[in-house]
Amino acid sequence: MNIRRNEGAIKWTLITLCAIFLAVFLILPLIYIVATSLRAGFQTYWKSITDEYAIKAAILTLEATAWAVVINTAFGVCAAWTLTKFQFRGKKTISTFIDLPVTVSPIIAGLIYVLTFGRQSFLFPILDRLGWQIIFAVPGIVLATVFVTFPFISREIIPALTAQGTDEEEAAAQMGASMFTIFRKVTFPHIKWALLYGVVLCAARAMGEFGAVSVLSGHLRGKTNTLPLYIELLYQGYDFTGAFAASSVLVIMSIVILALRVWLEKKGVKDLDVRK
Amino acid sequence: MSVDCERYYVELRRINKSFGTFQASRDVNLRIQRGRLVALLGASGSGKTTILRMIAGLETPDSGEILIDGKVVNDVPGSERGVGFVFQNYALFRYMTVYDNIAFGLRVKKKSKEYIDDRVHELLKLIGCAGLEKRYPSQLSGGQRQRVAFARALAPSPQLLLLDEPFAAIDAKIRLELRAWLREMITNLQITSIFVTHDQDEAIEVADEIIVTNGGGVEQVGTPRELYSHPETPYVARFIGSSTSVKEYWRFRFFKSLGDQTSAVVRPEYVKVFRKDENKKFAKSAEEGIVDDVIFRGDNLEIRVRIHDVVLSATRSINDPVVEVGEKVDVFVYRFLVVDGEKIILLDNSSLREESVVI
Amino acid sequence: MKLQKSKSIIPGFGLTFGVTITILSLIVLIPLCSLVVYSAKLSPAEFWHTITRERVLSSYYVSIGTSLVAALVNVFMGLALAWVLVRYEFRGKRFIDGIIELPFALPTAVAGISLTHLTTTNGWVGKIAYDLLGVKLAYTPLGITIALVFIGIPFVARSVQPVLEKFDIQYEEAAVILGASRLRIFWKVIFPEILPALISGFTLAFARGVGEYGSVVFISGNIPYETEIAPLLIMSKLQEFDYASATSIALTLLLLAFVILSVNAVFQSIVSKRISGLA
Repeated sequence: MNIRRNEGAIKWTLITLCAIFLAVFLILPLIYIVATSLRAGFQTYWKSITDEYAIKAAILTLEATAWAVVINTAFGVCAAWTLTKFQFRGKKTISTFIDLPVTVSPIIAGLIYVLTFGRQSFLFPILDRLGWQIIFAVPGIVLATVFVTFPFISREIIPALTAQGTDEEEAAAQMGASMFTIFRKVTFPHIKWALLYGVVLCAARAMGEFGAVSVLSGHLRGKTNTLPLYIELLYQGYDFTGAFAASSVLVIMSIVILALRVWLEKKGVKDLDVRK
Repeated sequence: MSVDCERYYVELRRINKSFGTFQASRDVNLRIQRGRLVALLGASGSGKTTILRMIAGLETPDSGEILIDGKVVNDVPGSERGVGFVFQNYALFRYMTVYDNIAFGLRVKKKSKEYIDDRVHELLKLIGCAGLEKRYPSQLSGGQRQRVAFARALAPSPQLLLLDEPFAAIDAKIRLELRAWLREMITNLQITSIFVTHDQDEAIEVADEIIVTNGGGVEQVGTPRELYSHPETPYVARFIGSSTSVKEYWRFRFFKSLGDQTSAVVRPEYVKVFRKDENKKFAKSAEEGIVDDVIFRGDNLEIRVRIHDVVLSATRSINDPVVEVGEKVDVFVYRFLVVDGEKIILLDNSSLREESVVI
Repeated sequence: MKLQKSKSIIPGFGLTFGVTITILSLIVLIPLCSLVVYSAKLSPAEFWHTITRERVLSSYYVSIGTSLVAALVNVFMGLALAWVLVRYEFRGKRFIDGIIELPFALPTAVAGISLTHLTTTNGWVGKIAYDLLGVKLAYTPLGITIALVFIGIPFVARSVQPVLEKFDIQYEEAAVILGASRLRIFWKVIFPEILPALISGFTLAFARGVGEYGSVVFISGNIPYETEIAPLLIMSKLQEFDYASATSIALTLLLLAFVILSVNAVFQSIVSKRISGLA
């Protein structure tokens, strides 16, 4: 029995509504960015995105992103292993704290680092003596980026490991395999797509982070400006073409990321079929 | 003393183990002889799997000693106890081929490439899976997976093979086939083996010796025949074979009460049902009952007969004269298993001694 | 917190647990503690005085009001999107499914400046709205709401979608056999099933909206008492090095987020208890 027949009218109304909604809210801004950045001609566009400060900002963005991916991958793998392969008290508390950073406003994320490392902190004299500048400098930007993307990778791996269970690891350990062997040969194949997926999400968010980085950056052109901050700077200086040109680079990156996501999701699903 | 060590390959002494508030093992004492095929039989939650996992080193006992080959192995890692373990759902490495699965334990032990290759092919031949080495576990049938898991456990040549519910994940039809296969395999290899099961038929059919567990402790140890004919505890009496509880067994002729607090258990094998016109040797000792139900069981008939306010089960051959529901029949019970506290007393029909009837 | 080491045979507990706790402490716990330590130094009177100043209060109203409206819009549109994606087959469905995630992938600042330019009175959309309806979008609460709708699109759609996918069509078929109308089926059979997911999506979108900064800061115009949002106020206090005020406002926002998420958690546990109780 097909209970969904005669639903043509409702179906097309809903599809049209959704299509218009997405077109206005999602597609239009993208088109606008590309159109505006190219309005003054391709040469101007090229000059804007190859500007010395733009490239420096892009490099800093990539640097912060790389740190976020590396730290959060190391953390994500360890946390997932600890939380899914062992039984101990305090597990729930740990997972709550892991998820906490995404529920905190980026501005507040920036604030807590200012309070931790800033002039009024008890740590400040020590850091000062060591000559370490954290806030309003690159380390602050890196910390903020790590913070806002903190659970992104562990959150993808943990469900994959939970679904897999512990019996394969137990079997391997019973035969005397070392931790490294077990991880590489037995566990890693189960999580590789989830891990890659998490890395993609983490990188996407890290490249685009604005609020927290904005708090912790010294806003020094060429020194502590990431790409999003550089865009803000141009925009506030009424260099709209420059701002939109720089934005278009991030737009392309985010479209690549979306495509990667779709591809990874399909990969992961196919892999699941093999597993069962 | 030294003879003892020689005879018992695995020994557990006063083992206790708890998971949080759940006590999985209560003062477990066990001895298993070299070369035996032993079943740990019990309902789920009776602690049988915990015992197996502790022997394998997958769990650590809270107290007590585990001895393998006369040595205390509590502090020896599982991988160095000479133990092969077949997991309940086989725990095959899903991202490795059959070949890599079987070779894993050997590679961990850093055996030479040639040795590994020979050993894997030898085992593949042994389990009848030659030619499947490039497959992944997901491409195997349930029976094949079980055989591969078996081969993987055997690869490092363990002295002791442990199997956790080896047949639970397999279709009923293939299960019977695999049981026979496994028994033959283990008997040929002469490897001491312990397997966990909740299925008494499986335990009785496959094992040389059965250890019945209940509530974290060991109820009784014995050959299948001993457990069947001489259960030592009420739990074993009820758990092994099918049974009917009879409260006032002394109402049956030729049975005397053994005390006020006692009741009894009776098995279908102890009950004979005859048509009134059937020739029988002990007509005098039989009592009259009424047939409550006749159930066709394929190779025989189960007759449920009402007598002294209880319904007893008995079996009859399908070649025997037909009995109908409601028919008055002669019933002869030749034994009750009387439950006296925690003990079981075998109580035979006293007319048997007098008349020396043979059934 | 007492940690009981597991006696599992699987190796690596010490190492992975150690790394987990170390990184968690450095990145999350210690900075959060410094917030707690710093706020303990604030006097209650000072704290109360800061958060009840009219400019601060109005920033809360703006933040909460626009987030609430945006989250409600997203509840409707998210439900429609999830429904369309799960129940219908049409060309371009895969594209829609992928593009929904755009707000997660697109940097908020980029979204912010683009939406701002589109909605000013001479922008592509803003001009139409102004000419036809006489409504200004950018630099008004309406503009903030638009930015927050953009940010919140994936939350509701992505939490409802899996529930709808799992929903067994047999329930609907049973209801049809019993003669229920389509609207009735939706309200009585489907809606209760997806309500928890809707509420949790709403909560996430709302909480995110209250804390959002990048996409809003450009479109809001930041007019005190009108379009100044709470995170921006924290930002400006920080730039004045007025950490006490910044912390007070931040604490209130954190408390609000905590309340929102707890209400949702309590609701979800009630619902899951009810369902498992009935099953």
